[in-house]
Order: sequence, then C-alpha cells, then structure tokens
Amino acid sequence: MNPVPLQAWLIVSGLLFSLGLFAVMTRRHGVAVLIGIELMLNAANINLVAFSHYLSPNGQINTVLDGQIFALMVIALAACEVAVGLAIILRLYWTKGIMNPDDASEMKW
Amino acid sequence: MYGIPATTLVEYAAFLSVAALTLLGGLGAVVSRRVFPACLWLLLSLLGIAGMYALLAGHLMVAVQILVYAGAITVLIIFAVMLLQRATGRIIMAENQHLIGGVIAAGFMALLIIVGVLTARFEPVHIPEGPTEFAGQNVQLIGHLLMTQYLLPFEVVSVVLLAALVGAMVLARREPDE
Repeated sequence: MNPVPLQAWLIVSGLLFSLGLFAVMTRRHGVAVLIGIELMLNAANINLVAFSHYLSPNGQINTVLDGQIFALMVIALAACEVAVGLAIILRLYWTKGIMNPDDASEMKW
Repeated sequence: MYGIPATTLVEYAAFLSVAALTLLGGLGAVVSRRVFPACLWLLLSLLGIAGMYALLAGHLMVAVQILVYAGAITVLIIFAVMLLQRATGRIIMAENQHLIGGVIAAGFMALLIIVGVLTARFEPVHIPEGPTEFAGQNVQLIGHLLMTQYLLPFEVVSVVLLAALVGAMVLARREPDE
C-alpha cells in the first residue's frame, strides 16, 4: 500500500489550485491567465486520481479506474480550452491590439 | 528510523520530490515576469504531476500527461507566445497586477482547502496495493472501459474536441486586411 496519506496529496493539489487562482486574478497577459487555468485543472486532476486510488469501494478494478478515466476526459477538455483560449487571445490582439484581458471590456456593463 | 520499512521511506521521498517539483514549477509559472519562462515553469510543474500519476495511477495516465499536457498543450502555448512576440516585435511580459487582492484570495483559498482537508474524515474503504496494482493491465482495462461503460462520454468528448479545434482555427485565422 501507499504509505503517504491521502491528505498530503489533497494539500499539494490545493496549493497548486491556489497558485492557479492567483495567476488568473493577477496576471496582465491572456496567455499567463491561461497558464493559471492549466494549473487549476491539473490540481483538480490530482484530486480525482488520488481519491480513486485511496477511496474506491471493495477494491473493484472499475472503481479504481473511474477516477483515471475522469481525469483523461478533463485532459481532453483542457486541450479544447487551450486551443479556443489561445485563438481568442490572438484574435483580440489582431483586431484590437489588446493583450491584457482586463482591457477587453466592451461587453462590460 | 528504526521500525519503518525502507519502502515507506522511498514512497515518502518520491512523494516529497514530485510535490516539490510541482509546486516549484507552479510558483515559477505564476510569478515569472516574462511569459516564455512561465511556459517552461509550467512544463516543469506538469512533469511533476506526471510523477504524481506514476505514484498513484498507472502507466496510461503518465503517458497521457506527458504526451498531451507536457507535449501538445505546452507546445501550443509556446507557439502562441512566439507568434505574439513576432507580431509585436518585443518580449511579452505579464506583470502581476492587483497583487494584494490576489494574495488575499489565493491565500484564503489555500487556507480553506488545507483546513477542510485536515478536518474532514476520509474512511479508506479499500487500501490499494500500491502503484503497481493492476500494472500490467492498466491500459487494457481503461481501453475496455472507454469502449463499454464510458462509450457515450468518450464520444461526446471527441465531438467537443473536434468542434473546439475547428472553432479555434476559424477564430485564429487572420484576415488579409488585419
């Protein structure tokens, strides 16, 4: 068995999530904000895999793998999110010359 | 360290090193002033997370993390950074703004998560055998599950991926007059 307690993994992923949140809130460039979002998604993935490793009922093989399949789906959706996000950042720069997401405030009421 | 088996120490050392790698990379990605080094710090963090998967999950998660995240996504971000640097003709910076608010929000979030994790009670229903559990058949079993129990989510994700990539191409295409 893995002697490291579940809480240790959860704390590491919580710290990583907080770092990502900090990046999303403070960064002044769209790409850097995307990097923060990636960190947050990865923190969530660590949680999924850790929980399925430690807390699967009966040790059924399917329930151990549930978390991993969930994490695989998250990775696929993260790839979508990065592609669309970068496309939006490039489009914003080409049409308006904006790189700081705070400046794209036309739709802000 | 009398009485503690050597494998326990190895597991702890492995956990601490991958956790340190991940958090160091994350910190660098968040505070680095230029965007390009931030991408490289992100790569370090993602590789640390691949190490975590090596301790927790099977081969497949490690391979997917390195191929898709460290490989494809990081390269995509670096590609966009280089494109922007070429278009603007200068190095792209990303200074941190609203520092106090960000520190308060992120610190409060971290505090909340740590307190919550430490006070919650997790009852381990099953103590797995370790990282080598189901090792030989991990890929096979995940593939089987994706084609049977998780067929619908799998197909939906593939359609979403296709739509997102087509949409990204349409969005990022540069009109001749721009």
